[in-house]
Amino acid sequence: MKNRIYHIPKRGMKACLVVASMLLSFSAMATVDIQSWQTTSGAKVMYVQANQLPMLDIEVAFDAGSARDADSWGVAAMTSGLLGTATSKLNEDQVSETFNSIGAQIGSSVTRDSASISIRTLTRPEIMQTALNTFETLISDTQFTKPIFDREMQRLKIGLKQKSVEPQVISNETLWKTLYGNHPYAHPTSGTLESVESITLDSLKAFYKKYYVASNAVISIVGNVNKAQAKEIAEKLMQNLPKGQKAPGLVAPKAINKHKSITIDFDSTQTYYSLAQLGIERGHPDYAALFVGNHILGGSGFGSLLMEEVREKRGLVYSVYSYFAPQKVAGPFLIGLSTKNASALEADKVVRETLDGFLKDFTDEKLQAIKDNLIGGFPLRIDSNAKILGYISMIGFYGLPLDYLEWFPKQIEQVTKEDVLEAWNMHIKPDEMLKIMVGKPE
Amino acid sequence: MLFLKKTFPHFATGLMLSLVSFTSIASVTEFTLDNQMKVLVKQDNRAPVVVHQVWYRVGSHFEHSGKTGISHILEHMMFKGTKDLKPGEFSKIVSKMGGSENAFTSTDFTAYYQVVGKQHLSEVMRLESDRMRNIILTDEEFIKERDVVTEERRWRTEDKPSGKLYEQFKATAFMSSPAHHPVIGWMSDIRSWTAEDARNWYQQWYAPNNATLVVVGDVDPQDVYALAKKHYGKNKPEEITAPRPQVEIAQEGERRITLKGATKTPSILMGFHAPTLVTAKDETEKQEVFALEVLSSILDGDDSARLTKNLVRKEQVVASAGAGYDGTDRLTTLFMFSATPSEGVPPEKAEAAIWQEINKLKTELVSQQELERVLAQSEAQYIYHQDSTQSQANVLGSLVSVGLPADTLDTWVDELRKVTPEQVRAVAKKYLHEDKVTVATLIPNGKQVKKSANHVSHAGGAH
Repeated sequence: MKNRIYHIPKRGMKACLVVASMLLSFSAMATVDIQSWQTTSGAKVMYVQANQLPMLDIEVAFDAGSARDADSWGVAAMTSGLLGTATSKLNEDQVSETFNSIGAQIGSSVTRDSASISIRTLTRPEIMQTALNTFETLISDTQFTKPIFDREMQRLKIGLKQKSVEPQVISNETLWKTLYGNHPYAHPTSGTLESVESITLDSLKAFYKKYYVASNAVISIVGNVNKAQAKEIAEKLMQNLPKGQKAPGLVAPKAINKHKSITIDFDSTQTYYSLAQLGIERGHPDYAALFVGNHILGGSGFGSLLMEEVREKRGLVYSVYSYFAPQKVAGPFLIGLSTKNASALEADKVVRETLDGFLKDFTDEKLQAIKDNLIGGFPLRIDSNAKILGYISMIGFYGLPLDYLEWFPKQIEQVTKEDVLEAWNMHIKPDEMLKIMVGKPE
Repeated sequence: MLFLKKTFPHFATGLMLSLVSFTSIASVTEFTLDNQMKVLVKQDNRAPVVVHQVWYRVGSHFEHSGKTGISHILEHMMFKGTKDLKPGEFSKIVSKMGGSENAFTSTDFTAYYQVVGKQHLSEVMRLESDRMRNIILTDEEFIKERDVVTEERRWRTEDKPSGKLYEQFKATAFMSSPAHHPVIGWMSDIRSWTAEDARNWYQQWYAPNNATLVVVGDVDPQDVYALAKKHYGKNKPEEITAPRPQVEIAQEGERRITLKGATKTPSILMGFHAPTLVTAKDETEKQEVFALEVLSSILDGDDSARLTKNLVRKEQVVASAGAGYDGTDRLTTLFMFSATPSEGVPPEKAEAAIWQEINKLKTELVSQQELERVLAQSEAQYIYHQDSTQSQANVLGSLVSVGLPADTLDTWVDELRKVTPEQVRAVAKKYLHEDKVTVATLIPNGKQVKKSANHVSHAGGAH
């Protein structure tokens, strides 16, 4: 029934690339009991038991995102996309049929850092057995066949062609390319129309062989299975994968250190605007101070300074936001909006004034209100299996402490105004930011 | 690769025992206040959290030409203060509780929601019941918000060829019904609204007897009822006049439009008028609705479905294809198809491929295996859906707002189970008729995207 309902949410803040990860628990609050261990083959396991519903979610994340593409831009995404299309025992239709006939759902996703494959299944024994047996073969026994590769390459190219005329995409790709230069984060995850020409079935198989190995995997399990079952499941999922090598660390990107402004002429009614610079990596000690500050500036929707100045007072935009996207190494910090071409320059001015003002000072009330929100909102962030899976997968993949969900809110609680101002003024340099406008700004 | 496109049901018989024995699925408790406001409560004790929503029975299907989108702008104005609250203060209070909140406008309802720790339920009720009858809607705030909505429309539609195509497709498929209009409204309508329009619309529809309260979470239904009486019970009902019928005229021949847009790849939309559980005149038509639901799942419930299996994988005539149907709309709806042709394939060939699938359904019976897959998926989805209190509340609120029973979803799979292959063939024949189709084709306008970037670099701060 309800598919594709056409709703207009009031404040659809555009989805951030990376959900600002949060938080935490407070003393009196329900906490999440995360258990972690290694499989015999060296994969990391993250597990939370949740028995209320007869269902199970598993995500297996490999350090095999597009940062591992080397010169073959798009190969990581293509590998992830073809994972599970066919195995040595089942053709493509049979793989789909196996999962669909028992109501199990399979998904895959790829980012700059990771490539993951996930499953959601009912835990009735015969269903779960079938689901997990087949899921395991997708991970270890995918057959990358030429006909499927050729077809998916054609589909990929159509998608890339389509993206090449979307102003928001043009803006994002320009942003990464300019901020990251020759760094592995610089190119789009899906590759480019030019770059995917060089991907071959052999290069894809080689990529799979190198990165889809147990040492390079983090398995996250949430649902109606006990610890003994979870252990068994994790072993099973890795049983036919080689131990392999963990992927090496990435080099840190270098900041551009000077202001740069890029305008791309595009025939649209709005100008797509971003102001950006390098931010921080996951696990950075200043994260809590930057995170709290970002919520005040533009990360919390309606109460944020940017929203008040650009939308509420002046009616220039539907959406304006800011975020840090911490990754394995420094991800970007950015402020983004879209506004009619005629108000692009005015919006730019208001954004800069708001940022400058924030870097000087903000009220104690604002700080307290944001802390209340972040701390009081904890239970909402872990009220479903899907959300818990997201957190433990992040904690596992980025090697954050197991008690991160309790630790982070305590950090938030302790952050002072001075901490926020100091961290922001150290990391954010308004005079050295990259400004990108796609449209016909006036 | 393997993504399920739908959020709702598909499913299996052979292995389905009753899942209900495993977890006691909480039922919904329903109340009605003296002022005729409906209250629905569903207990879910998994987290100390509660979803609180108020649904008004008004949306774009209640609107008339020249005033389209008024329901949506009113939704924006609901955050601009009341006799006791300054503009934006509502959101600030909820934020300080640690809550998240928002609102959405659709064709048949406008809903407001907060998700908060359960200890805050009484407070959000107090706030929500206040803005049910006491908003202050000033000209000044209205004019600013109207600008925000024009930006929203540019962002959603004007610069998105696919958004424009859908809008024009709907406007072609529906000529006399309000489904002709986009939810957000036409740009010239938006520009001409006045604060008075919004004040009148508010007065007319925002009343307890036109609203449903939905609460899902770690709560006791009786406690919720007591709180609802206290907070909402004091609001006076309004005389609600049903909107004029605006019935869609019968379609007597194919309708077709072309849109030349800023795209590099063509795409098509096709649609056929179809009944819903609400418009169904009798049991027979209700059965047809479930047969159409099964039909839509067989075509596009998952990646084993026919459109993907036959057209994307086997024939490779399209890069993607989908079908969609929602049997819970309040007015006559559309059974829809969408497709993006493969590289070098003209859109008419993609269209012909869809017709080929439709014609198969009109002549051959669907297999038992396909039916079982639809049931297995639906059963599983029913469980998965309970992982999210918000999704549970959304389903309840939308069903009740269009006049369907609150337990519609609980009996959904049983209804699908009754559908026979013959019924599927019969509805395909009856509704997917060549004289009843609307086709919208998006083709590239041939304009080259100029990407002449001018880089301006400064050594210092160029503000």
